[in-house]
Amino acid sequence: MEHFLRTWLEWPSVAAFIARYTWAWPLGETFHFFGIILLIGGVGMFDLRLLGVAKQLPVSAVRRLLPWGVTGFLICVVTGLMFVTAVRANVPSSPYDVIKSNPWLQMKFVFIGLAGVNLLAFYVTGMNRKVDELGPGASAPALAKVIAVASLFFWLGVIYFGRLIPEGL
Amino acid sequence: MQAFLESIENSGFATYIRETPSVLGYSTVLALHTFGMAFLVGLSGVIALRVLGVVPELPLKPLKSLMPIVIIGFWVNAITGVILTSLAIVSLSRNWDFYVKLASIVVAIVALTKMRRYAFDDPNARDDAPASPEAKRWAKTMLFFWGLAVLGGRLTAYATYIRIQSAEAVVVAIVLLLILARYLVRRSHRRPAVVHRTSPVEARG
Repeated sequence: MEHFLRTWLEWPSVAAFIARYTWAWPLGETFHFFGIILLIGGVGMFDLRLLGVAKQLPVSAVRRLLPWGVTGFLICVVTGLMFVTAVRANVPSSPYDVIKSNPWLQMKFVFIGLAGVNLLAFYVTGMNRKVDELGPGASAPALAKVIAVASLFFWLGVIYFGRLIPEGL
Repeated sequence: MQAFLESIENSGFATYIRETPSVLGYSTVLALHTFGMAFLVGLSGVIALRVLGVVPELPLKPLKSLMPIVIIGFWVNAITGVILTSLAIVSLSRNWDFYVKLASIVVAIVALTKMRRYAFDDPNARDDAPASPEAKRWAKTMLFFWGLAVLGGRLTAYATYIRIQSAEAVVVAIVLLLILARYLVRRSHRRPAVVHRTSPVEARG
């Protein structure tokens, strides 16, 4: 398993590209931040509405922002994969060793997973259908609010642990 | 002036935040700066998208309720930004990219204030009505300068030649993405052509 992960995570061509072109890493960082903004603007906005912020907005209309949040997440995944697989361009370690030794990166992955489980709970519990019926001024069910708080907590946690990653390198 | 800036950078507070081994120092301030940015730019961006007609389903006036969170985001960013600046104020004072970032933030905040006024201050405007051309102009200005501020913030840590190359790369990438997005939006809006065949008798009525 370790051999498989060591080989699979190592992308020398990406690392070589980043080492060769000095603009590639800052470009990835800039888009990673654009992704974070889209994620909070889309998913964070949806969570805030469920918690009663801008309550006059119908939830079905706010749902239209979710594709922007998903786009932001995908941008973060692509640029984040670039940072991990090409880490050798910046530090003399393999991606596998960095993942294994950096607690903040591990916490980030755990929180992304928890955000995914939370999203799954939103659909499995039927809350996605219930909140769609919420018109202007209507409050979300308590369970939907709990899921929204958890979503904000996990995504902010992902950002927080992402900022701590350099401490563990 | 130089001595004054050095005294800020070498103050006990700045030295503690910069050098403490605790994660609650520099990295946490940096994370709070990112939280502030995400809420400030993310939520004001939502208002701008509605103003520009990208998400027309959203009623306009209730979006005004987001402004307190946008303002909290701004102050979190301002306070953490002052702290982060104090940690390396000597080198930042010689960094033109840092001034681009600050100027972009000022213009974006002015544009946000103007957009807010034009979008929300007409009590007779309907919620589903398109925003005024002035509001749209300020929304575009705000989005552009937020983008520039984020870019400037990312590039302050790099050498000048890397900054210039990176800024060029970001501009090229954004232009390509906008062209792709425009193509996808047009393609999704394109309806299959319906051919109505009428006989000469029907056509004459």
